[in-house]
Amino acid sequence: MVVEALSVLRNLPARKKEEQAEPSILLGGSRDLGLDTLKLAQDIYDQFTADPRYKEYVLGCLNCGECTTGCPAARFYDFSPREMLQVAMSNDPLVLLNAMHEKIWACCQCYTCNMRCRFGNDIAGIISVMRELAVKNGLDSAKEVLRPYTRILLKVMTGGTQVSPDMIQPDFFVDWGPDAVSKASDLKTLRKAIPIDVLQVTDSAWEVSMQTSLELFQIYQESGVIDIVRAVDPDLVEMITDIVDEWREEFEEMKEKYGVR
Amino acid sequence: MGILSADQIREVVRARAENRSVSDKKVSDVREEMWTLHDRGELIVIPITPENKPVEVETLFGWKKKVPTDKLWHHKSCGQCGNIPGYPASLLWFMNQFKTTYLNEPHQTSCTAWNYHGSGTSNPVALAAVAVRNWYRAYETGTYPLIHCGTSYGDYKEMRKVLVENKEVRDKVREIMHHMGKELVIPEEIVHYSEWVHVKRDEIASMVKYDLKDVVATVHEPCHYYKMVPEDAIYDSSVLGGQRPAPPTALLQKMGVSVADYSTWYDCCGFGFRHILTEREFTRSFATLRKIKPMVEEAHADVAITTDTGCVTTLDKSQWVGKVHGMDFLVPVLAEVQLAALAAGAHPYKIVQVHWHTSPVEKLMEKMGIDYQSYRKDFTEYLNQIKSGGKIEYLYDPHSEIEKYFAVNKGQVIVEEQALKRGE
Ligand code: SF4
Ligand code: SF4
Repeated sequence: MVVEALSVLRNLPARKKEEQAEPSILLGGSRDLGLDTLKLAQDIYDQFTADPRYKEYVLGCLNCGECTTGCPAARFYDFSPREMLQVAMSNDPLVLLNAMHEKIWACCQCYTCNMRCRFGNDIAGIISVMRELAVKNGLDSAKEVLRPYTRILLKVMTGGTQVSPDMIQPDFFVDWGPDAVSKASDLKTLRKAIPIDVLQVTDSAWEVSMQTSLELFQIYQESGVIDIVRAVDPDLVEMITDIVDEWREEFEEMKEKYGVR
Repeated sequence: MGILSADQIREVVRARAENRSVSDKKVSDVREEMWTLHDRGELIVIPITPENKPVEVETLFGWKKKVPTDKLWHHKSCGQCGNIPGYPASLLWFMNQFKTTYLNEPHQTSCTAWNYHGSGTSNPVALAAVAVRNWYRAYETGTYPLIHCGTSYGDYKEMRKVLVENKEVRDKVREIMHHMGKELVIPEEIVHYSEWVHVKRDEIASMVKYDLKDVVATVHEPCHYYKMVPEDAIYDSSVLGGQRPAPPTALLQKMGVSVADYSTWYDCCGFGFRHILTEREFTRSFATLRKIKPMVEEAHADVAITTDTGCVTTLDKSQWVGKVHGMDFLVPVLAEVQLAALAAGAHPYKIVQVHWHTSPVEKLMEKMGIDYQSYRKDFTEYLNQIKSGGKIEYLYDPHSEIEKYFAVNKGQVIVEEQALKRGE
């Protein structure tokens, strides 16, 4: 009886080994994919399920769709957190890889789904894990998504803050209206008129001391983040390394100047 | 197939749940385990001491939380400092009024979580190490970290959990810290600036100079304040029946503002981290259609109030382009501390810095009874004075040149005289 019910209520994309050669609804077409793709999918799947967060974040699913009803991304993209959780539970490397190409990037990371899920899944968290793996494995789709984001990465990995006042340039932010972009014309004076000394800069959210920036870079190096970013943008890593090398030299000079050990 | 019995349905659900169960999910109070690790010498908890003048509040699960109110270390927000500078300036202005001692330093990085949530280019070790490096700076200066950004606040609570529950991450982060001559520290509580404002609401409300009963405000609760690690957000049964977080509604009510409800209060703002920068068609559609439109049409809001960086930015900046579709709303969007500073008589341009907002604040100021024209004239003169190399006004004495490079002043909390001078 229960077995019969299971087949009737079958609602997960999990499929048996022999079924995996069949066209997948989620993949929307043929499975005639090269060996390389299959290997990549299997590798990523193994990394995914071996991540300690996988067991902690993915707890089960009722397919109730509560998560999706509150999801902002689901309103404007072909995307749903319910589907993402189903993908995470699918036991199918190709289903996982396919979702990692595009869908995972629609999520706003608002955590509304988590708050609503009665199973206590960390859906936003598991989507983040998928994004980490898309970057780490250098997927073309990740490169594509992150291309316009290079400037932010450069900012955060060198200066330690993600946005700066001088980013609001008329060419990029025309939809924010004339008042937002007109700031660019007299930015220096307007920043000086902020009564907080460390905010009186234009190329960083606040002035970050050189020691602090170098410590941040050390964290990125020792935690393996530099290698992760290299997988999607080797040129960017080279640029960052050059900047940091120059800073290191200047830092040594300053140590002498100020007599700091 | 016949109709299933309740037991059979339970069986089905259990089977579909892939042998895992909700009981795997830990919602225990991570702070208890953290103190055990402190006692074992695995990490150092930065304690909240009587010098921090803590105030106790209740969180979602009825847990007690201490909110320190003095000797604070400002953990700034990049989005606030970059685009909404009146946000931190209003907070520091209030602290000066209350003679609160604090440090606001260049020796801080952002939490880097904006980048992580947008791009996936980080990992738990890096995120946790960034958090600990910042916390350590507060620790070595004898101050307590006050987190300005909702995302940093949510991220730091996640990192606290990771550091407490995952030995591998803990060991690696400790090793990285040792390479920098620092220790693995975790603050006793992760505290958002809105929690400081919340516990100071009576004092703040007592400073209000204008009658605000005709001002209608709608509240947008930031997702990363109450959805990311829900058990840690402040709730109070006397505020909205305890059904929503108490900040910032409790402050608004204390100040005499009319807080109005709207149907999509639970929705996110549409910020999306990467979306606000590179997929703005999504962000502005969501912000306008799901947030601003209901705020205006259902609640007739004079102002939208929130307590986080991305929400102010998104709701403020996304409105202008709505004109194309006939949605000419332009509702001012402010952080609660900015509205409070305006109401308490802070300079709208020099302190609250309303000119950085795209949806104009002038109509609201007029309704509040603020003579913004004369303040604007004063500010224009001030800008000219700056341009000609004149004196710049500060909320605290600027840092010395050496601090552009080195995190000096270890162990020195802001000097008493400076705090007194600021209060003059
Ligand atoms: S975190 Fe992502 S998936 Fe979840 S509700 Fe928000 S946008 Fe949707
Ligand atoms: S809310 Fe939870 S249980 Fe329901 S569909 Fe979403 S992930 Fe599954």
